[in-house]
Amino acid sequence: MRICAQIRRRDLRRRWCLAVLIAIPFCFLACGNQKQPSTISRAIQVTSDLAAEQILNRHLEADPRSLDPSLMTDVVGQRVCDDLFEGLVTLDEAGHTVPGVAASWETSADGKIWTFQLRGNAKWSNGQPVTADDFVYAWRRQVDPATGSEYSQALTPIENAMDAAAGKVPPSKLGVESAGPRMLVVHLHAPTPYLLALLTNAYLYPLYEPAVKQWGDAWTQPGHMISNGPFLLSERVINGHITLDKNPYYWDASHVRLTRVIYNTVGDNDATTSQYLAGNLDFTNRFNTSETERLQRTMGDQVVLSTSYATAMFGYNLAKPPFQGNPKLRLALNMALDREILMKYVEHGVGIPAYNMMPPLEGFDDAVPDWAKLSADERHAVARKLYQEAGYSDSHPLETVITYASGGPGTRRFMEALSAMWLMNLGAKVQIYNVEWKVMLQSLQLKQPLFYWAAWSGDYPDPYTFLQLFQTGFGMNYGDYSNPQFDALVEQASKINGGPERGALFHKAEEILNEDAPFLPVYFYVNPHLIKPYVKGWQTNITDRNLSRYMYILAHQES
Amino acid sequence: MLRYTISRLLGAIPTVLVIITLSFMLLHAAPGGPFDSQKKIPPEIKANIERKYHLDEPLYKQYLRYLVGILQGDFGPSYQYRDTTVNEIIRQGFPIDIVIGGCALAGALLIGLPIGIMAALRRDTGWDHLPMGLSMIGISVPVFVVAPILILVFAVTFHWVPAGGWGTGAPKNVILPAAALAAPYIAYVARLMRGSMVEVLNSPFILMARAKGVPQYLVILRHALKPALMPLVSFLGPAVVGVITGSIVIETIFGLPGIGRAFVDGALNRDYTLVLGVTILYGLLIVIFNLLADLSYSVLDPRVRY
Repeated sequence: MRICAQIRRRDLRRRWCLAVLIAIPFCFLACGNQKQPSTISRAIQVTSDLAAEQILNRHLEADPRSLDPSLMTDVVGQRVCDDLFEGLVTLDEAGHTVPGVAASWETSADGKIWTFQLRGNAKWSNGQPVTADDFVYAWRRQVDPATGSEYSQALTPIENAMDAAAGKVPPSKLGVESAGPRMLVVHLHAPTPYLLALLTNAYLYPLYEPAVKQWGDAWTQPGHMISNGPFLLSERVINGHITLDKNPYYWDASHVRLTRVIYNTVGDNDATTSQYLAGNLDFTNRFNTSETERLQRTMGDQVVLSTSYATAMFGYNLAKPPFQGNPKLRLALNMALDREILMKYVEHGVGIPAYNMMPPLEGFDDAVPDWAKLSADERHAVARKLYQEAGYSDSHPLETVITYASGGPGTRRFMEALSAMWLMNLGAKVQIYNVEWKVMLQSLQLKQPLFYWAAWSGDYPDPYTFLQLFQTGFGMNYGDYSNPQFDALVEQASKINGGPERGALFHKAEEILNEDAPFLPVYFYVNPHLIKPYVKGWQTNITDRNLSRYMYILAHQES
Repeated sequence: MLRYTISRLLGAIPTVLVIITLSFMLLHAAPGGPFDSQKKIPPEIKANIERKYHLDEPLYKQYLRYLVGILQGDFGPSYQYRDTTVNEIIRQGFPIDIVIGGCALAGALLIGLPIGIMAALRRDTGWDHLPMGLSMIGISVPVFVVAPILILVFAVTFHWVPAGGWGTGAPKNVILPAAALAAPYIAYVARLMRGSMVEVLNSPFILMARAKGVPQYLVILRHALKPALMPLVSFLGPAVVGVITGSIVIETIFGLPGIGRAFVDGALNRDYTLVLGVTILYGLLIVIFNLLADLSYSVLDPRVRY
């Protein structure tokens, strides 16, 4: 009996241990779950007064490759440079171009010469005036082969830019000159109606030559950098944070209310959400979109979806079967997709169904194909007919592979959904194949993938940056699409200095693309943000660039 | 012992050289280059960039140039972060890894050692089974589960500590990542310590000490602890490197600017110099800490002499 009792006691003890072991993690989870809704819906009382402390915690989804405007190539770098520097023109809250360092400008009758008048009170962060020579220096440095800039081709519209970048002429031959300290003259190859939009980009900002000369590559370090924007660089920790402080010498400093902007690099989308919920971030550029509905339910207006000018699509290799010379097959695949369903259930509303290349741009009429208006059943019927006419059937289905660069579980889910749609609506067997990003880039250059996932983000809000992609011989026309009629229309439009005629030509060119289907548009990008209700002075806009210069923080209290 | 140390250090040179050579070759053999991007760069401009970084030279020249640089303590410019050098990235990131890793390891030892000893002394009781059971959880639950739970509870719910970021490196920024990193190590240390302590406590010299009437605490501290630490020391050599280099997941979840993240991003972006620099650093750490572990045997075990 005693032995039995001991055994039972030990047995009980063991069970107790086991119960505790199992219970502990659940306690944590339960604790989290119970508290979570109240935390997420934690009310933030916002008043109309300015907060005493004007410090904004912003988010970067990756660390900028460089803070040197001549070397910078990424969106995140542009975000920081938007606050550090100012070009001839800049952006307002709505993303429209407005005067920056240039107070005014005029264009010659043929649209090839632009003369900018610089404002007299524009200063560098050391108090020195910003002059036309600072622009001339920066732009020449941008095309100078010794700089090794990856974006010097962005200066293509400027006379001799590409020749200077290729080392055929010295950088001093670049079509930019100063006519006095406050007048800058820019010579272009051809009329460039989107020049002002280009001028808002980092690669056309001015640089302070003495700082670059003194510090060499290290001129972008805190303490060395001299900038001319609303903020100046105070601290930079790679992959950590970039701290900017208000620049007292900025010409419009009296209207800048933030005293400090801290850009925090958080790459992981879940970590971004938790940092926002914990109050470490006030303004994020991303979150895990599979959580969109939950976040919208619990945080309402703090979830901000901002349309941008980028198109997600599939590219085809048009030089190899099965897609070579087979527009019917391409169109069948195009029409078999139910984009509304994809956007609603797979992308959680973060994306706008795309039936054509050009996202909706202000002042342009994009060409949406007629079939986009058909009901799903009608569309599928036409798709099946085209599929059969292209030589495929249930007994002889299309068998191909989608190649896509790694993008996490969300992208995989999306590819699986597409593959299932093609199987269900056409009977096509489309496998999915995931590769590393750099491998994808190299295989694209070697023209290996037959059917691949791609995205195109415009350099400026103009149809040319989108339609150029399909011009014969264009570097990024990876599918080798070529249609002389399309080329002629785009070429003709690119030489016209704005106006309805230019828009009409682009519209016609896009209609040709819709017929030939050299690519398969899926959706237009939407950038998901989380923004605290006390952060004001921003608007969603197609450039998805929100300058901290306009932002301010209202007094608030969390309860 | 000095001779042994010097010979071990000299022996490490070919090891490190092999690491450098292999990594260099493998990196250059990987498809894609550091300056490949979706926006295709005209060949002339790409040539400019490659010239700037000597990538246009034959591979053997690049290799020799790199070796000469290393001898001068220069790991070269980063290709990914174009206005920064690899030295600067390591200078910024490595101390953060050391702080997080050091705190995690200190925590693991401070908590794991007493638990292990206690479990060994109270063998087969609740004091043994409960911590050993818990330690199984510590070992088997991955850090990417532990870390978000810690964030959810302590940062998002209670707002006691930040959910991530390094800031100025204040203790509040260190606690959560160090705790998440320490969790499995506490478990390892406790289990190792229990195992070796049980074994040592059953040795004849402990029986002898007890027979002579030495009090329990002296038996543990003076006689049992030293030999019981031996397996732990073997474990600690690689473990120190493990906590310092193994914080990549932690760095990602907590958004910390350590070199682990830079290492992974560097590999994905073909930042040859950054990946090589960090690989060499990690290689050196492994060599040094294994040597330290070996040297400490001679302190702990009178039978080991170098």
